[in-house]
Amino acid sequence: MPRARWPVTHARNLTFAHLWFGFIAFGAALVLGVWQMWSRSPLPAPFVTSSTYFSSVTAHGTAMAYVLPVFLIMGFGYFVAETSLGRPLPAPRWAWSAFALGVAGALMATLTIFSGRAAVLFTFYPPLTASVFFYVGLVLVVAASWIWCVLMMVAMAQWKQANPGRPVPLAMFATVANAVMWLWTTVGVAAELVFQVIPAALGLKAQLDVGLSRTLFSWTLHAIVYFWLIPSYIAFYTMLPRAAGGRLYSDTMGRLTFILFLIYSLPVGLHHLLMDPEQSNAFKFLQVALTALVSVPTLLTVFTIGASLEIAGRLRGGRGLFGWIRALPWERPLVLATGLAFVMLGFGGFGGLINMSYGMNAMVHNTSWVTAHFHLIFGGTVVIMYFAIAYAIWPAVSGRAAPSLKAQRVQLWLWFAGMMVMTLPWHYLGLLGQWRRVATFNYADPTIAAWGPWVVVSLVGGVILLASGVLFLLNLLQFNVQREMHAGVVGELYAMAVHPPARVPAALNGFRLWNTLVLVLMILAYGYPIAQFFVGNPPQALVHRVDERR
Amino acid sequence: MDRTPDPLDRPWRVWASVAILSVFAFSLLFGFVLLPVIQGRAAGVDAFESICRALGIRPGSPSGRQPETSAKAQPTTRVAWSAELMDALANPEAAGESVAGSCAGCHGRDGRAVDLALYPDLAGQSAAAIYKQLHDFKSGSRRSPVMAPLVQSLSEEQMIAVSAHFAAFPLRPLPAAQFPAADPAIEELVARGDAARRIAACNACHGEQSGGPTEAPRLSRQSREYLAAQLHAFKSGERRNDIYSRMRSVAQPLTDKEIEGLALFYAATRTY
Repeated sequence: MPRARWPVTHARNLTFAHLWFGFIAFGAALVLGVWQMWSRSPLPAPFVTSSTYFSSVTAHGTAMAYVLPVFLIMGFGYFVAETSLGRPLPAPRWAWSAFALGVAGALMATLTIFSGRAAVLFTFYPPLTASVFFYVGLVLVVAASWIWCVLMMVAMAQWKQANPGRPVPLAMFATVANAVMWLWTTVGVAAELVFQVIPAALGLKAQLDVGLSRTLFSWTLHAIVYFWLIPSYIAFYTMLPRAAGGRLYSDTMGRLTFILFLIYSLPVGLHHLLMDPEQSNAFKFLQVALTALVSVPTLLTVFTIGASLEIAGRLRGGRGLFGWIRALPWERPLVLATGLAFVMLGFGGFGGLINMSYGMNAMVHNTSWVTAHFHLIFGGTVVIMYFAIAYAIWPAVSGRAAPSLKAQRVQLWLWFAGMMVMTLPWHYLGLLGQWRRVATFNYADPTIAAWGPWVVVSLVGGVILLASGVLFLLNLLQFNVQREMHAGVVGELYAMAVHPPARVPAALNGFRLWNTLVLVLMILAYGYPIAQFFVGNPPQALVHRVDERR
Repeated sequence: MDRTPDPLDRPWRVWASVAILSVFAFSLLFGFVLLPVIQGRAAGVDAFESICRALGIRPGSPSGRQPETSAKAQPTTRVAWSAELMDALANPEAAGESVAGSCAGCHGRDGRAVDLALYPDLAGQSAAAIYKQLHDFKSGSRRSPVMAPLVQSLSEEQMIAVSAHFAAFPLRPLPAAQFPAADPAIEELVARGDAARRIAACNACHGEQSGGPTEAPRLSRQSREYLAAQLHAFKSGERRNDIYSRMRSVAQPLTDKEIEGLALFYAATRTY
């Protein structure tokens, strides 16, 4: 028997390094998150002042929203590029340079936050202006991810050249969709940072146009959520059907889903500015209407994944209308995580419908409802799939078999339970009027006192999440005590489609057409909303530094 | 090697573009024309005006009348912070010495008050904080039988120059006299305030880091008597040049003992 080649070459160490860095940042941010919940609760928490609280929130947001997803997506992307294309990664040296750049940037931003010079939260809130090192650190993280985007596109282009006429494997097609989308996405925040915020932080500008900076940030703000989400969808479409013991119902549906995410992630950001006066009703309406179209890829996915699981369930002997659900191998972490992620996506999706409705948004906009919503969607649906992805690829990355599936299942269930216990009362508190972006509450006030018990329940959820996070890191460490595997033992990760595509139209095998359409939509949807700030004499805000000592 | 274009390439290109642009056109028609016109009609706004408002090239909502008010604004202060003013305070055109001569009688040549029991120190204060008070004395926002007549003759440039002049002097060193150890209850007020009485933390604006409003003055090593007098004046409402009544609402629930404690804390502290 010929010795099997290890399926991952350069990407093995790259993935290992990226995922571990992301998960360590995640673990630290989790501790901060629990402390923040504690600080907002009626129970007396240590170290609470407004400045420690807002520094902590800034660090938590930066680690969770930028560092964890960027590093996970980069690491997972390198892995997908080698395993799905069956070729070594082009230019691994560039990939390592990007890693070094990203780590340097993340450390620079973190040190600035903990020196108390960047309490501006992770969405920046200009005209608040932090130390320039905070912003430059984040720019380095984004620059690192840009190198990754280029590497992904080059890997796909080289494969297409070597395999003319053949469809790019879905996992890689989706990864490149995410890379292309991320390049578009980061243009908004990069313009905000480079032309407005960093010059202000350097003292070159005494005032800036907050309307413009909020509009530019909105460009990034919705698409970044899909950037976080796409690895989960890659797992749903390409890894889950195999883990469940079946096939993917439709490869084309998968391609369409990722394309629709690319198109409808970008010209929709104004729905984050529904309460902002600088944008007009008609443009808000337009972008909300386009936002609603995310229902199309979402429903395509629910249908396709449902159908794929049904195939698996029936192959495993499931009978009747719902019998196939029971027949699914729920003991496998990826299947379990998907089930739990769909439940959280259901709750989170309904919450999102409320947020995108102008009138209802007006009532919840500045309340905890919004914070609870994005914790449920990102921390719930997305992060639980990050765990599942890590568990699924760790044997191939570490070269060791999974130690205990039971410990993995317990961890996933704990995360689900913690997220539910934390976010459901949190949503309710938002409906009661609990405001967000606040360090402490006066529980002596009778109205606020009634919130107390729910905040404590929410804090309990946070503690469960912390326990689950610790267990997750331990589960990954547990791989080290296993024996090393032979290369031949590493199973195939990706599912076959029921009808594997022999050829696909160019539109479903590349991004040229879709990039053109995104460009057209962006000009139409964001052209005037941005151009208006350069006409006449719009009001400017004084730069307000938070990093100066008196 | 098969490089012939797929027969589906062209229809995909065409129909995908048609589908996406149709959805866009539908939203455009609905959001830019139909909705504003229908909403505008209900509010008595004509169609053209409604569409202009929806686009954002005319102010107002397409679905409602513009509110009217006959209330007259009564600003608590007439200072408006602008980039030009901040720049002028940082780089004053005129020299401040000539004006400063007439301040020196009370506030000292180097901005250190000749009698701390009667006058505040100006040395080491921010130029913005000094300017704000001079401007308020002149406009009548802050009343003082002593200061008001003195500032009437000052021009805008002179106020800017003299503010920057005194701001440049170093803070008074901590007096040699031993102060009693700080009271933990007072430190709590400084760091966290008292939510039960709706008192914001002093540090929220006057902290070690300049997070507060532009005009928030520096408090450390300021005259104890002056600080206490100002807190009492805010508490009684006698002094009212604080925008949004920030200081009045903070001082109102303070007890006399707390006012004394806070004044002592800041007089003896090094870092705020």
